[in-house]
Formats: sequence, C-alpha cells, structure tokens
Amino acid sequence: MTARRRVAITGLGLVTPAGNDVASTWATLQSGRSMGGPITIFDASGFSTRIAAEVKNFDPRAVIDDRRLLKYANRSHAFALAAADQAFADAGVRPTPATSPRWGLAVGTGMMGMGWPELSSLGLAAGDGEDVDPERLLASDTGRDPMVFCRAQNAAGLALLGRRHGIGGYATSVHTACASGGQAIGTAMKLIRRGTVDCALAGGFDSMVNPVGLAGFCLLGAVSPDNDDPTHASRPFDATRNGFVLGEGAGFVVLEAWEHALARGARIYAELAGDGNSLSSYRITDSHPSGDGPIQAMRWALADADATPDDVDYVNAHGTSTPMNDRSESAAIHVVFGDGAGRVSVSSTKSMMGHLIAAAGAVEAAICALSIHHGVLPVNANYVNPDPDCELNLVTGQARPHAVRVALSNSLGFGGSNSCLAFRHPEFDGGRA
Amino acid sequence: MTAKPAVVVTGSGAICGSGRSPAAIVDALLEGRSALAPIATWDVAHWPRPIAAEIADYNAAVLAGDRKLLKLIRRTDVVGLYAAGEAVAEAGFVVYRGGLDEAAAARFSERTGLYVGSGGGTYQNQYDYFPLIRETGGELPGFGSELVSGVNPMWLLKSLPNNVLCHVGIRFGIKGPNACITNHSVSGMLAIVEGAAGIANGEADRAVAIGHDTPIEPQNVLYYHGAGLLAREMLRPFDESRDGSLMGEGAGALMLESDASARARGAAVLGRVLGAGHATESEGLLAIREDGDGPARAMRAALADAGIDRGDVGMIVAHGNGTPASDASEALAILDVFGANAPPVTGFKWAIGHLIAAAGAIETVLAFEALRRGVVPGIPTLERIDPAFAALPVSRTAARSRSDIALVLSRGFGGTDAALVVRAA
Repeated sequence: MTARRRVAITGLGLVTPAGNDVASTWATLQSGRSMGGPITIFDASGFSTRIAAEVKNFDPRAVIDDRRLLKYANRSHAFALAAADQAFADAGVRPTPATSPRWGLAVGTGMMGMGWPELSSLGLAAGDGEDVDPERLLASDTGRDPMVFCRAQNAAGLALLGRRHGIGGYATSVHTACASGGQAIGTAMKLIRRGTVDCALAGGFDSMVNPVGLAGFCLLGAVSPDNDDPTHASRPFDATRNGFVLGEGAGFVVLEAWEHALARGARIYAELAGDGNSLSSYRITDSHPSGDGPIQAMRWALADADATPDDVDYVNAHGTSTPMNDRSESAAIHVVFGDGAGRVSVSSTKSMMGHLIAAAGAVEAAICALSIHHGVLPVNANYVNPDPDCELNLVTGQARPHAVRVALSNSLGFGGSNSCLAFRHPEFDGGRA
Repeated sequence: MTAKPAVVVTGSGAICGSGRSPAAIVDALLEGRSALAPIATWDVAHWPRPIAAEIADYNAAVLAGDRKLLKLIRRTDVVGLYAAGEAVAEAGFVVYRGGLDEAAAARFSERTGLYVGSGGGTYQNQYDYFPLIRETGGELPGFGSELVSGVNPMWLLKSLPNNVLCHVGIRFGIKGPNACITNHSVSGMLAIVEGAAGIANGEADRAVAIGHDTPIEPQNVLYYHGAGLLAREMLRPFDESRDGSLMGEGAGALMLESDASARARGAAVLGRVLGAGHATESEGLLAIREDGDGPARAMRAALADAGIDRGDVGMIVAHGNGTPASDASEALAILDVFGANAPPVTGFKWAIGHLIAAAGAIETVLAFEALRRGVVPGIPTLERIDPAFAALPVSRTAARSRSDIALVLSRGFGGTDAALVVRAA
C-alpha cells in the first residue's frame, strides 16, 4: 500500500468572504474577525434571514484578462477563474501543450440554475402555476438567451477552467452538496495515485447568495436569523447556535505527484495524504446524532494517510453552526479520538467566512495546508457558551501557534455524503517505514 | 507492476423510452424500433424540434416504489431509483446481507460504495417559485416576505442534484465511498469508472453505479435547439444527412463487485470492467476539435488501461449523438485508433435518444446485454454513410461481435471524452 504515489499540494488560490486572495484570507482567519454582514448584492429586506458573508470588492475584469471567457461566467464561475489563476501562479507550474494530457481537473460545482433576473422574468412572462407555458416560453427573453443555457450547465465551470488553462486529461465536476469541494479534491488525489494524471487543478466554487439560494435555506430554517448581529450569527459549537451564515467563493489547489514536485524543487505546503468518503444513509439533512457516517469518514481518511488519531494536531471541522450538524460532528470526533479528544485542536472557519456550500471543502482544504505550512491554527470565532454536547478543544480567541503533523478537514453534505481529507506535514514520517 | 484486481458486474438495470430492462431495450434495438416520437408531455404543435424519446406510461409511484418519497424527489430521481433497484435486486444484495450477522452486515454495508452520474439541476426545478413570483410581481421584498407561505418548504431538498445518491443509500443501507458526478454527458460513464476504481483500489468490495437524467423539458429542449444541437425528425448517427441529436430520458445502473466478493457470495457474473481512458479537449463548453483528438486519446488510454490490443475489441458502442461535428470527429478518432480493420461500430441513441447524464451508464448496460448475445445491433436510421469517413464499419443491420469485448464512448460539454472497455462474462 505504501508503494502508491504520494500527492503534494504546491499551489493555493482563494476568493472568500475573508479575503480575495490567500494572504488576506489567512490574515482574517488568524484575527478571529467574523465577516457576516447585511446582504448587499440583492434586496433581501423581505427575507427572514437578511445576512450573509459576501465576497467584497471583487471585480472579475480586474483579475481575469479574458473578456470573452467572462461573458460565459456567472458570479461563482468568476470566483473559480480568479482562485485557479492564483493557484497556478502560486505553484509556479501550469499545463503546457506537451504536459496537458497529464493534467487533470476536478471541481466541486454548486447547484446550477437560472439567476434571479432570468427566473423572475420567465416566471412573469411564461409562468403557469408551478410550470411553464411552452407557447409563452418560446417568445420569452429568457427562452431565447443562449447565455442562460451556457451559464446554467453543470460543466460550465469545468469548461471555463479547462479552456483557460489548457487541461487535457481527466476532467470532472462533482456535486454532493456541502461535501462537494472535499470530494473534488479527494477525487483528484485518487486520479494522481492511480496514474490517470500526474498533476491536477482541484477545488470548488459556489455562490448561493442570491434570492433563489437564500430562499432554499430560509425555507428549511437552516440559516441563522440573527439579522441584528451578523458578526456573531455564525457560532459553531456554541450552545446558542441557531443556523449557518451563507458564504460564497472559491478555493483551488494545485496537486502534483510527489516526485514531480520534488523534481522541480517546488514548495510543498502539505501532503494530501488521505481521503475518507462515507455515506450516512440516515436523513437527507442530518447525520445520526451518534456521529455515524462522519466517524467512518475520519477513520478511513486516517487509515488512508497511514496515520493514527494520535498523529492529528488539528481538525478543521465542518462546524456549520446548525444545532444538528455540530452535535453529530462533535460526537464523531469524540468516538474517533477517544481519550485524545481533549488534546486535538478543533476550529470551524465557517465562524468567520460563513458556509461556502460546494466550495467549503475546497477552501477548508487550502486552510489545512496553510495551517501545516505556517504552524498556526485558525480561530473558531464567536464561541461563548459551552454546549455539553460539543465539548471540544476549540481554538478560541486568538489563532494558536501549533506545529501540525496531521490535519483533518471534514465536509458533511446534505444527502449524507461525508468527506474527510487528511493532510500530512511534508516532513512528518510517523506511521511510515 | 501488480495486476489490477478484477471488477465484475453482478447486476444491471435500465429504463428508457425503449423499455424497462436491458433485455427489452436490446430487443427493441434489434427489431429496429425507435422510441423517438413527438413529445407527449406538452403540446408541441408549434415547437421547432418536437421529437424525443419519452418513457411511455410513466408512473412515478410505481417506478419509485414508494409513494411517500415522491414529495422529496423529482422525475430524474425516480428513474434513477428504479434502475438502481433493478441492479441491486439482480445482484441479490439485500438477500445476501440479510443472511449475515449484525456485525458482518454492518461491515458489508460500509464496504459497499455508491457512484451516481446525475443531470443535476434542471430548469423545471426552479418553477416551484413561479406562483410566488407572479403573485409578488417579481419584486424581491414581497417575494422574500411571502416565501414561507408561498413555496414548498422542501424545495431545496427536492432539487438536490445528489438525491439519487441519498435515497438509494437510505433505501439499501449503502454506507461506503460515494460520488455524485455532474459532468454533462460523461457523468454516467464516470460513475462506472469511479465505482470500478474504488473497488480496484480496495476502498469498497462492491459498488452500485448509476446514471440518470430526464432532460426532456421545454426550456432545456429549446436551448439545445438554440445551440443548433437538435435534429428535425430523426437521429441518424454517422449518416451524411445527420442534422443533430434528440433527447431521451431514463437511467442505467450496474452492481460492480470485486471478483473475490462476487465469488464469496456465489453471485452470478454478467461481465467485467477492464479499463477506462479519459481526455479533455478544453476548447470551451460546446466546441469540439475536428480531428477527434479527445476521443482518440481516451480510446488509446482505455485500451492501455485494460491491457488489451485494439484487435481484441469485438464491437464499439460510439457516442454517436447525431450532431455533424461530434459524429465526424468521433468517426475520425475511431479510424485513427483502430485503423482499417476496425470492429463493427454501433450506437444506441437513434432509438433511445440522448440520455445526457445517463447516456454512458445505460449504453454500457446495453453493451453488456449485446455482448451476452454476441450481437452488434445495427443503426436502421443510417441511409448513407458520410463519405468523409466512409471506411467506418457502421451498418443498418446487426452484425456479429468479433469478440466478447466492447469499447463504449461518451462525450460531454467542456470537451470531455471517456472510453470504457468491458467484457462479457
């Protein structure tokens, strides 16, 4: 088993509510500053929840020099293009015509559909109960607009990234709701391991900070209604938590076969060492309160990484700040770490940048790589009231300097998919001969 | 180099306009019956492209096998659940697990994976908002404040692209590695590829792989027509007069299993997965290279991964979607890879339509059924092969497969190409 290829993380790119690049995002995550605020990108005044963590001051044209490409991009695609550009620049390697077939692409893609302007205009022009009138659809602006079609495709983000960077190998788009980003990065790791490609761009992108996305979560009562105190609304593991704060953005990593990275003298942030991928098969929205599902994901990720619970210094929790998720995930951490549960540091960075949905797992994977690289653990902000169901060694107050041998990142999705990624410090050799 | 662990098939299921089992669909193909007909779901009298292959007598409660579940799923999920149920039943999965003690059964469930190729979001998903949009004149403050009284609270859950993953998992107690692939019309094939890879890598002992999609809805059909992708009347793969594709709907599913697991269970083996190959042309969302670079690279990689020579392939199931550009480049790629002595080439979309995210899954299921019979179904809508690739061995009539090995091709938006090599038992 140890003869298989190792996978290096050599480039990072982030566009998040905490900052529009890696450095600014990382600085925010160390400050413990929560980025929730009133929604500004549409009129949310009538919604029960009117707050979110938005990406601010993002001008696609300032960072992507291809107007034609941007024409096909919606907000989340633009985040993806910007973050992927950063990741390649950071890695100092990119596909060439000669290496292109050996480069893969795996992206966690959000739920696609029409934007609000198109949906509302179509509803008014051609809506017929909860259906469309085909005759009026034929004459509608939305029905005639090919851009609505192109931007709504699941493969739209993949197509934009592939074209911009000339990726010629295996390319895939996955969606397991809030686990999408983690599953995309796990998929890319496996593609390199099994020799399908040597290098990959992997990540996730999403923006559900729009009327339709917000509506879906409001209807489910999944988002915090604390409109008067948006910077404290996301408080994972706190006893008073009452829902997540919607975020948006993109995270991308450049992955390389270990020898490939070494051969070019690349800086290796961390080894992407393990993927644990389980299905809860319990309820659509929740894992079992016992932690069944997330438990297997964490155990399998550790085994896949040749690591034991004792090797783990940091868990970047899914920690959405919903009552059910945080309780189930805490239970799972206690089962996996047993007596060591008090030793391992845990934080949910969703406390500061909200829940990036299909991008969350990818952004948080990059954060784990940064934690290992810098030896610093980001904060679990807004934790004030202990919950006996969530007794964890949370990183509260200030970022915590701490050497990290192994880090785990959990992403637990609606639909029951659980992704746990395991990251090793490049020089940590515990568990390996 | 260690030999790759063998991945076998122990169950299959399929549903589309041509039938509700792999055998019934291949019967229809061999009898020259096409399910492509004027769309019945809405009035297409004024519709520019009125033809598709719908599932006749669609009854959601019967197909889903659970009336209560219909509040939480959509048509695309119903057909996925149906095909998965057929594959799981044929494999004897539930019966076998029922005979295990509690601990062994739990391990059996955790060692079972689930990989789904899904069409993901459709336009119709969002129509649940129309009544409220009309009521509030499309004004956001009113829309927001009336939301809870005006829209089904389950809207988001009902619209999840990974619903089949969720509900097949719950129904059959599957708890192992999983994926939901939303990658246009290579999704179904990638579900099989990733399921087989999960087994070969030792992550699971068996896995259900599913592709499902129901793309025949007015807005979607209109956009495909707008993009110039749809035929007027008939889907004629590789014909000189071909003028586009036509949509179908349905699902295909396989129970994949390690050879060791199948033998330990005493399960009947229907076939095996030998290898896969992938390439992306990355020219854009809809663009396709004329020279067939993507499919050629995918096929060569698949042959290498399977460890076979091109001469070992008995039949090729082409993507054959009927669009001028895709068929031409695919034909050039096949001739490039297989040379003058290519095995019989066929495709199934002339009869079942293009099932988009389900295409690669159902076409692989049908390839197994065709291999079992040793027959390469013909393409009856082919009248005159395009002289640009006259050497391509396609035929109106059925032929014998040269061997028990088939190569299946899938192509999707974004320039993605995938090839899968499978063998009959």
